[in-house]
Amino acid sequence: MDHSKAFTDRIEETLIAGILGAMTLITFANVVTRHGFNQNILWALELTVFLFGWLVLLGASYAVKKGAHLGVDIVVNALPSQPRRIMGLAAVAVCISFSLLMLKGAWDYWANFANLPGTEGRWFPLGFEETYRGKGWYEVNDIPHPAILGWMESVFNEGEEYEKIPRMIPYVVLPLSMALLLLRFVQAGWALWIGKTDRVVASHEVEDELEEIREQMRGQN
Amino acid sequence: MEVVILFTLVIGLMLIGVPIAISLGMSSVLFLLVFSDSSLASVAQTLFSAFEGHYTLLAIPFFILASSFMTTGGVAQRIIRFSIACVGHLPGGLAIAGVFACMLFAALSGSSPATVVAIGTIVIGGMRQVGYSKDFAAGVICTAGTLGILIPPSIVMVVYAASVEVSVGRMFLAGVIPGLLAGFMLMTTIYVIARIKKLPKGEWQGWGEILASGRDAGWGLFLIVIILGGIYGGIFTPTEAAAVAAVYAFFIATFVYKDMGPLADRQARSLSAAAVNETPGSIPLRRRPWAIVTAFFHPDTQRTLFDAGKLTVTLLFVIANALILKHVLTDEQIPQHIANAMLSAGFGPVMFLIVVNIILLIGGQFMEPSGLLVIVAPLVFPIAIELGIDPIHLGIIMVVNMEIGMITPPVGLNLFVTSGVAGMPMMSVVRAALPFLAVLFVFLILVTYVPWISTVLPNTFMGPEIITK
Repeated sequence: MDHSKAFTDRIEETLIAGILGAMTLITFANVVTRHGFNQNILWALELTVFLFGWLVLLGASYAVKKGAHLGVDIVVNALPSQPRRIMGLAAVAVCISFSLLMLKGAWDYWANFANLPGTEGRWFPLGFEETYRGKGWYEVNDIPHPAILGWMESVFNEGEEYEKIPRMIPYVVLPLSMALLLLRFVQAGWALWIGKTDRVVASHEVEDELEEIREQMRGQN
Repeated sequence: MEVVILFTLVIGLMLIGVPIAISLGMSSVLFLLVFSDSSLASVAQTLFSAFEGHYTLLAIPFFILASSFMTTGGVAQRIIRFSIACVGHLPGGLAIAGVFACMLFAALSGSSPATVVAIGTIVIGGMRQVGYSKDFAAGVICTAGTLGILIPPSIVMVVYAASVEVSVGRMFLAGVIPGLLAGFMLMTTIYVIARIKKLPKGEWQGWGEILASGRDAGWGLFLIVIILGGIYGGIFTPTEAAAVAAVYAFFIATFVYKDMGPLADRQARSLSAAAVNETPGSIPLRRRPWAIVTAFFHPDTQRTLFDAGKLTVTLLFVIANALILKHVLTDEQIPQHIANAMLSAGFGPVMFLIVVNIILLIGGQFMEPSGLLVIVAPLVFPIAIELGIDPIHLGIIMVVNMEIGMITPPVGLNLFVTSGVAGMPMMSVVRAALPFLAVLFVFLILVTYVPWISTVLPNTFMGPEIITK
């Protein structure tokens, strides 16, 4: 159990580091080619922007797991432990509802791009829609379709060739990340329920660093 | 009426401990589902287009990365050494040097708490050793650290620029004079206090030391030249400038300073052990030529990328959700309604700015500044334009307000961070920061009612601002 947990941590951490590294290098390379060779990498900006979206959306669920989402803890800190727990549970309930609503929204938005049916219903999914227009043919603006994804043409585009990658590829992160977000909030809710944690937020960005300093001080005394 | 429900919901959710991002997103989603025809799918689309449609925001991860590379190692020590060489011989020299170091560091990192952590861990201890009281040291650093968001490049300014669609370049330029002015006011205050209280002064170490330490710190400080020079020279967009800065910072940290990566000497490196005049050991590149390749995959590099990535995630998730809220506000034309109500009630620009000041001072106490800004900016911006306030000027006012919010009792963020760094109770930090808080208040009034301070540089260098209503 512990082992597998460390493993998913490593995957997510490598992914976060890797995506950010890739974004930086692509943007940098674009600057170099523009000034050095007088040529823009056409797809650089669009790819960076998509990676950016992937980074934040996928990272959001990791941040839930680590309790790193920014929040306001002034009221939480002022309360005794019993009401604090109840408020924590209420907060997680809100987060879970948000993830559920967004998961439905994300699926509805993405599904048609992948020739799949969205769901009926305004608040809750009430079964799949029966008639819809697939938008599997809808491509992004600049990123060329790599040969390795050639199989997608027969599956999603009736054998017709993709010049650019279809929009379903960048957008798939929406349902994926919202599902992960839901999973992590349910886990966070469970941790709160059994009393392992008392909140789902961090109050500022340097909490880890402060903890480190406090430990060093303790070490010195 | 609906808008009151909307904002009550946002604030209520935040107070019970829902993450800011989710509070914003959830309130907007509920509002849209109840009061409008928008579907959940369109909300999801808005969420994704926060990244797809805002190239400006793309600068944030790169700025964060650049400052992570810069702050991993001993850049803070080098800056402090340089500052002491420059102003350490004045009365209250070390304190003035602390302010100076915070200003320089603020130009490398875009964040205030980060500035306090980096400079405070070294300077507060150093000041106590030469005879300053712990309170005084903490008060100085706590206040000077807030300059992090005012002196460009600043992440908060990028957030403002993106959320109200003004130029990042203009915002950065606009921050230069106020940043210097605030630093100068703080230094003068310290000088006066030092004269009265006869605080210790350091030795004048000569021009040689200034040159030597300046050359050493210069590698890091050159980052500012790349960013500002690149943007105003028309070589890069702000986003590209940030990416180039990140790559530059990586090379400096790994191959010049050798604070991290394969060429760093891995012995006895810890935050508090870092003495001011000590350069950590390192390995020359010719002994490990393969480092040019391995540096990219070195655990230190991965770690820094990950840390910067994580910070990006938490900040941008808030911003993305705030953009959903902005979408709601724009759709319902809420700011326009409020503006009309204010105009017909006879509110002028002066009154409006006071209201903005108060909202931000209260909010800035317990919320991370960029989060607060994305909520408040879209709301007050259209009103400000109606009232004829310059958008850039408004941006600077908002930034200065949040600076003050960070050190206003009872719960300013910087107070909290300083109390952790200095290892002293929150209330003593509050008391220690009070005199300097007063200075910043004077500064705020100055910046609010003298627009010239903020607008002269951008208008001189980039032409007058064109305001489209």
